[in-house]
Amino acid sequence: TEWNVSLWGKRRAFTENVEKLAELVSEKTNGEFTMNISYGGLSKNTENLDGISIGAFEMAQFCAGYHPDKNPSITVLELPFLGIDSLELERDVAMAVYNHPATVKDLARWNAKLLMPTPLPQYNLAGVGDAPKTIDDFKGLTVRATGGIGAAMAASGAVPTSMSATEVRQAMDSGVIRAAAFAPHAHMSFGTAEIATWWTTNLNPGAVNCPVVVNIDAYDSLTDEERAALDSSVDEAMQYYIDFYNDQTMAKWGPLIEEKNIEQVTFSDADIEAFKAAAATPAAEAWVAENTKRGLPAQELYDLVIETVAASK
Amino acid sequence: MDSIEIGLIVSGGLLLMVILGMRVAFAAGLAGMIGLIWIFWAKKGYDPEDFGWALTVAVKTAGQVPHSKVSSQALSLIPTFILIGYLAYYAGLTKALFTAAKRWIAWVPGGLAVATVFATAGFAAVSGASIATSAVFARIAIPEMIETGYNKKFAAGVVAAGGTLASLIPPSTILVIYAIIVEQDVGKLLLAGFLPGMFSAVVYALLIIGLSVSIKGFGPAVGGFSWKERFEALPPAAPILVVVLTIVLFVYNPFGGEAWGTPTEGGAIGAFVVFLMAAYKGMRWGEFRDALLETAKLSVMIFTIIWGVLIYVRFLGFADLPGAFADWLTSLTMSPMLILVCILLAYAVLGMFMDAIGMLLLTLPVVYPAVMALNGGEGVSAADATFGMSGPMCAVWFGILVVKMAEFCLITPPIGLNCFVVAGVREDLSVQDVFKGVTPFFIADAITIALLVAFPMIVLWLPMQA
Amino acid sequence: MAGTATVLTDNSRLSRLDQGLHKIELLLALLSGLTVFGLMLLAVISVGGRNFFNQPLPGYVDWIQQAMPLIAFMGISYTQRNGGHVRMDMVVGALKGRPLYVAELITTTAMFLFIVLMVWGTWAHFQRSFDFAAPLWSRDSSMDISLPLWPAKLLAPVAFGVLTLRLALQIVGYGRAIATGTAHPVAVPLPLDMAAQAAMEAEHVSGKDD
Ligand code: NA
Ligand code: NA
Repeated sequence: TEWNVSLWGKRRAFTENVEKLAELVSEKTNGEFTMNISYGGLSKNTENLDGISIGAFEMAQFCAGYHPDKNPSITVLELPFLGIDSLELERDVAMAVYNHPATVKDLARWNAKLLMPTPLPQYNLAGVGDAPKTIDDFKGLTVRATGGIGAAMAASGAVPTSMSATEVRQAMDSGVIRAAAFAPHAHMSFGTAEIATWWTTNLNPGAVNCPVVVNIDAYDSLTDEERAALDSSVDEAMQYYIDFYNDQTMAKWGPLIEEKNIEQVTFSDADIEAFKAAAATPAAEAWVAENTKRGLPAQELYDLVIETVAASK
Repeated sequence: MDSIEIGLIVSGGLLLMVILGMRVAFAAGLAGMIGLIWIFWAKKGYDPEDFGWALTVAVKTAGQVPHSKVSSQALSLIPTFILIGYLAYYAGLTKALFTAAKRWIAWVPGGLAVATVFATAGFAAVSGASIATSAVFARIAIPEMIETGYNKKFAAGVVAAGGTLASLIPPSTILVIYAIIVEQDVGKLLLAGFLPGMFSAVVYALLIIGLSVSIKGFGPAVGGFSWKERFEALPPAAPILVVVLTIVLFVYNPFGGEAWGTPTEGGAIGAFVVFLMAAYKGMRWGEFRDALLETAKLSVMIFTIIWGVLIYVRFLGFADLPGAFADWLTSLTMSPMLILVCILLAYAVLGMFMDAIGMLLLTLPVVYPAVMALNGGEGVSAADATFGMSGPMCAVWFGILVVKMAEFCLITPPIGLNCFVVAGVREDLSVQDVFKGVTPFFIADAITIALLVAFPMIVLWLPMQA
Repeated sequence: MAGTATVLTDNSRLSRLDQGLHKIELLLALLSGLTVFGLMLLAVISVGGRNFFNQPLPGYVDWIQQAMPLIAFMGISYTQRNGGHVRMDMVVGALKGRPLYVAELITTTAMFLFIVLMVWGTWAHFQRSFDFAAPLWSRDSSMDISLPLWPAKLLAPVAFGVLTLRLALQIVGYGRAIATGTAHPVAVPLPLDMAAQAAMEAEHVSGKDD
C-alpha cells in the first residue's frame, strides 16, 4: 500500500512526527506500506481536510484554527489560558479530546480519523517598543494574533489584527503591529525574533492545535498487519517529535534571546490571574454556548480538558 | 506506467491543445483534470469499476482550486495595479510626462527617442502592464519623432521597446504573479524590479545615442527649451511622483524610517490617489465604467489562467514531476551557470510563441524548484550557494531575469504583442515595419540580461536594503 | 494572443439568445469591476483607521479574501463571449471558413466538457462548506473574524454555470456555421487579423491624449 500524505511548507520540527511515522511504518512492514510525503504539492494547508474528505490523499496535517467551523470539537484545545505548560501535557490533553466520541463523530463528517496531535509550545508575544509589564500596558497594543489568542488579546485591551504569517515581519518593521503571538519556532522562522526587543516568557495564552488525520476508508482497507504497524507507531513517532522539538528548537531559542539581548518580560502570578479573569473565562463560556448550539456536548469537552490538565499537576 | 510518464504524456497533450488554439487557461485546466483522473485510476490498477471513483476524486480535487487559489490577499494587487494604469490614463498623466521628458532631455543626440524612453519609464511607475504603455505612447510620441525627421520604423521600435519597461519598474502585474507562484515576498520583488528597469532604460538610451552619433541624419537633438519652459513642464507631470511615492512608502521607506504598511495596501492607496486625480480632471461615469470594465476583463483573464494552470500544477504535484525535473537538472554535469543560461534561452524561444503570463505560469512550477535546487536549495546561505546568493535572494534574482525574458518576448517576432499594438495604433505602419524598427533593441536587451546575470547586485541591492 | 474579437448579430433566435446572455454577462463583469473599486476603498478605510484612530479594520484580510472570487470569476463568461481569454492563434489564424469552424468547435467542445466538470467540482467544494443545520449555515469560516465561506465558494459554480450556457451557445453557433458554410457566422467570436485586433485593444486607451 502506498499512501499520499499532504503537509505544507518544508520539512521542519513541526513535521517530524509524520516523517518519523512514515519511517517506522515502512520499517515494520518491510517496505510493504509506504508513505509518500508531499510538502504543498497535493493541497493548500487550509484545505487538507477537504482533500481527506474527497479521498485525494490518505493522510494530512492541518490546524484547527484555520477553519473552526470545519472542526468545532477540537477548537476547545485552542481556548486561551488552559494552563498547559509542556509538550507532553499538550499531547495527553489532545489525545483525550481526540478519543471523545463527539470529536470522533465531528471529524467523521470529513471521513477523517484523528491519528495524533502535533503538540506545540504555548504562544508568547515578541514585540518592539515599550515592553508591557502589566495587563494595563496591553491597552492599545497592536498585535498579530488569531483565533482564541486574538480574542484573549482583545479582552485584555490589546488590538489584535490579522495577517498571514509571512506578512508579519514586514508589518512589524513598518509599525502596522507592535507585537506578534507565535510559538518560538515561528518567531524564528518568520523573522520576528530578528527585530524584537522584548518577549513574554510566561504569558502562555494558548497554542494552536494541529492534528494529523487519516482517511477512514483508506484506514479500514489496510491489511491487519499494516494497520497494526501504523497504530503501534503513533506513540513512538510522537515521543520522537517531542524530544526533537525540545532538543533542537527550544534549545536554540534561549541562547538566541540572550544573544540578541531581548528583554524577557515575566508576569507576576497576580497578573496572570488577571489575564485569565479578563480573557479565559469569558472565552470558555462563549465557546461552550456557541458549540452547544452546534449540537456538541461542549461543556463535557471543556471539562475533559480542564480535568486532564488538573490530573497532571 | 509510472506517474512521471503520465506527467510527461499529459504535458505533451497540453502543448498540443495550446497549439491548436484552445484558450490557454482552459487547456491547462483540462490537462490537469485528465491527468488527475489518470493518476487516481492508475492507483486502482485501471479497474473499470473504479473509474467512477477516480473521476469523482479528480473532479472534486480540481474543484477546490479556483476558490482556494484566488482567495489570496497578495493576488488582490493584480486588479488594483491594472486599475491604476487605466485611471492614470484618464488623469492625463501620459501627455504631461512626455512633454516634461522632451523639454528636459531631448537636447542629447537622438533627443526625442531618448525622451520617449524616459517618458515610458516614468509611465511605467504607474502602469502595471506593458501593452497599455506602448499603446498610449504610440499615439503621443511617434508623430513628434517622425516630424523631427526620425525613420518612422525606428520611432515605432522605440515605443514598442519602451513599453516593456512597465513590467519591471513597479507596479508590475507580472512580478506579482511570479511572487505568488514561487511564494516569495511580493514587496521584495517589486523593489527588485526598480533598478533593472531603470538600468534597461539607460541601456536603451545609450543605444539610441550611440546610433544617432554614428549614423548621419538619424535623428536630431531637440534643444532650445528655456529653463522657464522646463520648470513649467514639471507640475503637470508631478502627480506621477505622488503615486510612486505612495506605493514606495508602503513597501519600503527610502528615508530610513518605517514603511507605512503592506504592499497590498500600497497598491490600493496608489489606485485611490490616481482615482482622485482622474476625478479632478473631470472623468465621467462613462469613462469610469469603461475603466472598471476593462479592469474586470483583464483581471478575469489573468485569474482564469492562474486557476486553470494551478489545476495542472496540482496534477503535477501528484505526479511529482517538478521533483523529478529538479533531480535531473541537478544531476547534469554541466556548469550550473551554463544550465541557467540555457533555461533563459529556452524562455526566449518559448516566448516567441507564447503570451508572457501563460508562459510563466506553465513553466515556473517545474523550472523554479529546479533553479532553486541548482543554487543549493530554498534555505541555502549565500556562502554555500552555487550562484553566491541566499535562497530567497536567488528567487528574486531569477524572477527579475525571467520577467525580463518575458518582456523581451513582447518585442520579438512572430508574436511580439507590443509590436502588434504599436502597428495597430499607427495605420501607416505594418507589423513588419515595427519589427524592423525594434531590432536594435534586441541587442540592448541581450546586453541588459547578460549584465543582470553577471552582476546580480543590480537586482539585489535594493531588496537587500529593505 | 487574442485579446478581443467581434461578434456578429442578426435577428435569428441564436443571435437574440447571444445578445440576451451578453447583457447578463456585462452586469456580472461590471460587478467585478466595482469590487476592485471596493477593495481600493477598503484599503483607504483600513489605513485611515489604523493611522488616525488606532483602530485597524477588523478582518481586513478576511474581507479581501471574500471579495477576490467576485473579481476573479464573475467576468469569466463576458470575457469568453468577447474572445478575451488568451490563446495562441497561429493555427486558427491561418484557417478560414469550414476548417476554422471545425477547429473552433473542437476546442469549444473541450472547454464545455471541462467547465461542466468544474461546475460539479466547485459545487462540491461549496457543499462541503455549507450546512443547513449550522449557525449561519457555515461549515467553513475565515481565519480571523469567522466569516462564513460558503457565499464566496458559491460564486465559482454560479459563474461557471453562466459560462456553460455561453459555451453551449457557441457550440451551436459553430455547428450552424459548419452546416451553412457562411462567411459571417453569428454568436461566435471571430478571430480578427492580428493588426486589426491590436487596433481594437489600443482603442481602449485612446482619446484622452489626442
Ligand atoms: Na510598472
Ligand atoms: Na514574442
